[in-house]
Amino acid sequence: MFSKHVTKNLSAYCHGEVAAEESRRIAEHLIACNRCRGQFEEIKLGVKLAERLPQLAAPDSLWLDLESRLAADSNQSRVESSKQLRFSFKLWQPGFAGVAAGLLLSAVLGAWLFYSRESRPFWEVARLNGSPRIGSSRMDEKGRLAVGEWLETDGSSRAKIEVGSIGHVEIDPNTRVRLMETKPTEHRLELARGKMSARIWAPPRLFFVDTPSAVAADLGCAYTLEVDDSGASLLHVTSGWVELQLKDRESMVPAGAACATKPGIGPGTPYFEDASEKFRQALSKLDFGYVVDVPDLQRPLEVVIAESRSRDTLTLWHLLYRVEGKDRELVFDRMATLSPPPKDVTREGVLQLDDKMLHLWKGYLENSWSNQSGLKKTWIKIWTGALGKVQGLEGKK
Amino acid sequence: MEQRAAMAEPIIDDRVIEACRDGDREAFRLLFEAYKDKVFSIAVYSFGGDEAAASDVSQQIFLKLMTAIGQFRGDSAFTTWLYRMVVNACIDEQRKRRRFLPFGESVPMSKIEDRRPQEKRYARLEVADSVQAAIKELTPKLRMPILLKYVEGLSYEEIATVMGCSKGTVASRLNRGHRSLARKLGHLRNEVV
Repeated sequence: MFSKHVTKNLSAYCHGEVAAEESRRIAEHLIACNRCRGQFEEIKLGVKLAERLPQLAAPDSLWLDLESRLAADSNQSRVESSKQLRFSFKLWQPGFAGVAAGLLLSAVLGAWLFYSRESRPFWEVARLNGSPRIGSSRMDEKGRLAVGEWLETDGSSRAKIEVGSIGHVEIDPNTRVRLMETKPTEHRLELARGKMSARIWAPPRLFFVDTPSAVAADLGCAYTLEVDDSGASLLHVTSGWVELQLKDRESMVPAGAACATKPGIGPGTPYFEDASEKFRQALSKLDFGYVVDVPDLQRPLEVVIAESRSRDTLTLWHLLYRVEGKDRELVFDRMATLSPPPKDVTREGVLQLDDKMLHLWKGYLENSWSNQSGLKKTWIKIWTGALGKVQGLEGKK
Repeated sequence: MEQRAAMAEPIIDDRVIEACRDGDREAFRLLFEAYKDKVFSIAVYSFGGDEAAASDVSQQIFLKLMTAIGQFRGDSAFTTWLYRMVVNACIDEQRKRRRFLPFGESVPMSKIEDRRPQEKRYARLEVADSVQAAIKELTPKLRMPILLKYVEGLSYEEIATVMGCSKGTVASRLNRGHRSLARKLGHLRNEVV
């Protein structure tokens, strides 16, 4: 059964103004309740917008105007022998001014140091093996990773990060990650190199990982993400969905599928890991223009089409957006053979990338993309569909 | 109008406030420098972008601050005391103006675009402008908590103290304010999320 609705507390939740226990209750409720989750998305957008409200600079004339009014008041006061406004310059004689300036400087430095070290938000980190480092210090059994700090593991060390109350991330050896942001509306990690495994238990689009070639947005899932020295990455999803994005290039990756990314290009096309070797090699050539040791791939799209199975419509559906003209027709025809479109979806509409038709068809195709059954499928629907508007490829032309 | 770049602000401690109480003009200048942008920003947003009105009210606030600072006993934080003065001054001035101006008459926020630094990214400015325009359309009850939260960075507890209401009321008004912004500016989702 649902607990009490949480709509009244959503802004306070976004601002971290509710107690930890209440925060956990709200997070759990949001997972299960469509209505509150819809409102959470709306309030989260309102928060993001309000955060763009700039502080404005007062005009320089403000002090001059104020000073003249002060002077006028002061003269008036003198005439009236009033002592209400009494200005003394005694304190600002040279000797005192030097001491005061020194004290002020110390106070500013002290405050800055205090702020930078103590008041930044942080995540708890636990050492799993070896000697991971946070910044330049080796960590003990437990440590704190503050916003802006790097966590680095060498060849023999591993660590586990608690992502607020929404999940955890395990950091493999030879990995370098940085905490970019942590607040109720967004948790963001940068993976510069190495490998991490994330398990996130929260509404979609709260946890992001920046890599040199794409941003991974969690849609309620578990996955591993690996970045090599060239900045290329490889994502494997083990549960739920992950979205990869670089500028206007996006890929939605479900459980059982993988997706590569390359610097300057972004995410490639997602594919199921049980697809044939030829299929995967041809797709790599199609996405990134090369593949190692396979000289006979003259026409990679034809290989992908010939090798595709029913569940590979995941790959074909993404390719509809990425190829044009005759190639798009070939992709459509193969998809229609493997999984005929529902009656309101026409060939012409799909070839013109009609959003409504594409998403209607995708709704049908998703059954073959999921290796979950029954209850689990429904559960994943709650995560991704109802929020729906998982803004993956929607609206993309 | 310029948007404020991040820079170090003067530190206002008890000694500065004590010196202000003694009528020390330099201490008052420090106080002014620390809070002028914050006070002015609230005034501009409260008066729908009318810089002249905002300057007038900001002056009144600082003059009042000088004369009334002797009454500040330190029972609450100085900022809470100051912002209560700011909120009251803005509301009073709005009431006065409502008597003399036709309803809704104010300077368009677009007027304040001209003097912004060129180096700001266009897209970001566009979002900021749209947010400013949407803020202007909120009722004062919903607008002020948004300003105190996002321009001044106050906590719910501080906003409640400044506005003389409960934390629950602040949370509820912020909820309504956020939803109103989201509904008016839903088309900017991709720009900010």
